[in-house]
Amino acid sequence: MILQIVKKQALILLRNRMELLLLFGLPIILITILSSALSTWMESGEIEINLKVALIEQNNEEDEINQFISEFENSGIPPEAVEKMKETASVIAPVTLIKDAFRSAEVNEMVELVRIDPSEKEAALDDDSYSAVIEIPENFTYDTLKSVMLNEQNKAEMKIYQNEEQEIGANIINQLLSVIQEQLTFGTFLAENGIDPNVTGVEDSEMPGAAAIVDTKESVSSKGYYTIGMAVMNVLFMATAIGSISFKEKTSHVFDRIVLANMSRWIYFIGVLLTGMLFALVQLMIVFGFAWIAFDVDWPSVGSFILVTLAISLAVGGLAVLLTALSYRVNSEMIISFFSSIIVTFMAVLGGSFFPIGESSSVIAFLGNLTPNGAGMSAYLALLRGDGLLDISQYIIYIFLFALVAIIIGELSFPKKGVS
Amino acid sequence: MLELMDLTKTFKHTEAVKNVNMFIEKGEIVGLLGPNGAGKSTAISMLSSLVEPTSGDVRFRNKSMIKNPQSLREVLGLVPQEIALYEDLTALENLKFFGRIYGLKGQQLQNKIEEVLDQIGLYERRKEVVKTFSGGMKRRLNIGVAMLHNPEIMIMDEPTVGIDPQSRNYILETVKRLNEEKQMTVIYTSHYMEEVEFLCDRIYIMDKGNLIASGTKDEIKQILSSENSISIKADRWNDEFIKRLQDIPTIQRMKVEEKEITIVVPKDLNMFAAVAKIADESKLELRSIDIKAPTLEDVFLHLTGRALRD
Repeated sequence: MILQIVKKQALILLRNRMELLLLFGLPIILITILSSALSTWMESGEIEINLKVALIEQNNEEDEINQFISEFENSGIPPEAVEKMKETASVIAPVTLIKDAFRSAEVNEMVELVRIDPSEKEAALDDDSYSAVIEIPENFTYDTLKSVMLNEQNKAEMKIYQNEEQEIGANIINQLLSVIQEQLTFGTFLAENGIDPNVTGVEDSEMPGAAAIVDTKESVSSKGYYTIGMAVMNVLFMATAIGSISFKEKTSHVFDRIVLANMSRWIYFIGVLLTGMLFALVQLMIVFGFAWIAFDVDWPSVGSFILVTLAISLAVGGLAVLLTALSYRVNSEMIISFFSSIIVTFMAVLGGSFFPIGESSSVIAFLGNLTPNGAGMSAYLALLRGDGLLDISQYIIYIFLFALVAIIIGELSFPKKGVS
Repeated sequence: MLELMDLTKTFKHTEAVKNVNMFIEKGEIVGLLGPNGAGKSTAISMLSSLVEPTSGDVRFRNKSMIKNPQSLREVLGLVPQEIALYEDLTALENLKFFGRIYGLKGQQLQNKIEEVLDQIGLYERRKEVVKTFSGGMKRRLNIGVAMLHNPEIMIMDEPTVGIDPQSRNYILETVKRLNEEKQMTVIYTSHYMEEVEFLCDRIYIMDKGNLIASGTKDEIKQILSSENSISIKADRWNDEFIKRLQDIPTIQRMKVEEKEITIVVPKDLNMFAAVAKIADESKLELRSIDIKAPTLEDVFLHLTGRALRD
């Protein structure tokens, strides 16, 4: 008998093409629009940076170092002091320091340093692909060495031409050069005081205690985020669709026939529950299937993904039972319309379907996880970030409990005698 | 077999049905007459265990059905006033679903569905979606669904509302045939007098929640044994003629239609000469003056002071 109810509900839903289009097509359209439109905002924490910086050297650094040392040797200073100066000068070498900084692995991923000939300076300044042009003037190394080692103030200054159209990129270069400046000052201090730069580093092995591995989680792309957000929001509409079909049975007096066939309310409820659950499952699988094919949203743990999907489907079935019972109780479809138009939107916002509202406050995050869609979303996001089943078990248990409570409230609120 | 005892239903402050008593014997067709809002559907809903009465009892085979209506439901077929069907399903899918929830399956279900489709004349259209059916076809399927489990008692609540005369006749013939061939007990509510006259052995008349008359057709019509119903026909009326008729004190009731005026007068009173004289003086040409045998419509007019379809 339960199978008959499920089959009948399924046939009715499948023959309502507009409803089907909304239930299955709308989330896909929303995912496509939102993930594209809001990808920059969503992924602001990990913007891909590709900067190009031009470096112009008006003179050769090594020549200037040699010039500095040569002048030093000819000044009648003892050979030991000259030797120390040579070592310090090789450590300070400012242009090398800048080049090394740009060549370091972290910076090299983001910034491409292009050495260009001084004759190409104007062309580089006109080229918008450069975020900045760094010009090392003549005697820059020589003056820098004099400044830091002999305290002479006639220091040549490095010129930085920023591309105003690439404000962010130019700022990054500025900050980078500030760091280099600090390193230069620090290196000078060490050199002047005869301190080996290597001794300032602390080897891991010299640290007492065990080393802890910090858990680095996978980030979730905007497509992944909105696939989940739209899926858990739109699946709630399945509950209203099934509730609406069930309530029509009352208004058309078909339910009178069901009552007269001596069918128990539990059989009827289970039929509604299973229909809601089945179609929610199909809807989620279609949406996630689309996201997998179109956006490469795949799941590290398929088993955990299926478990979360089943839990959410059950909650949708429970909601369908609850909405059916309440609409029968108040003898109006108003409650289903209210849920569909107001409550779902509220739950979607609170659950984080449109933006990660929970990040703004722990209270909101807590409240969001009290909604089945919010708890489902948290579980799905955790799975995408690489969490295991144990990490999301609290959400799954909560969703199961939500479904159970919805069914019980539905049973309690269903009219006990007659329906006409 | 089936009894309604002092059945009352109150909705908030409105008494929809007031202390109604009825009995229905096996194999008879009982008519329940009354205008819209008379309380027929509420009485039917209580009788079929869909609505719990405020007070009173429904007894089936001498057992109360208020708390445990299962045994009554098993033998009851309900044809509600509304089209209680899934409009997005085909006729066949509807019959299969309702047959299954009544416990029919396999070949038994298949045979029963074919039998019902033949009886209601929808075999050729069985694979079409119900929402594409005409009003008459939907009504026939509405009856067919109620017939699937071979009910002993069929309750039909205005089953011919809003359909064409051909479908209406088909339905009336079907009900008659079910009663004669299968001895099915039928409780038939309508506000079409001619349907009730054609089908029913006994009649209950309800108005404003009260049962105001009951008996066989002849017993009901006996209510009008002391009166004559006179039909006056003309192509058109003039105000003077109508006013002078209204002034005659012996005319107990009068109903004016486009080309016919019906007056009810004491049986021994000869009104022919008086009516002819008034027509002559009002310069009105009459087409005929006849004494009519009382109809249930006349009885209803007599009992309630208003026409059944008012």
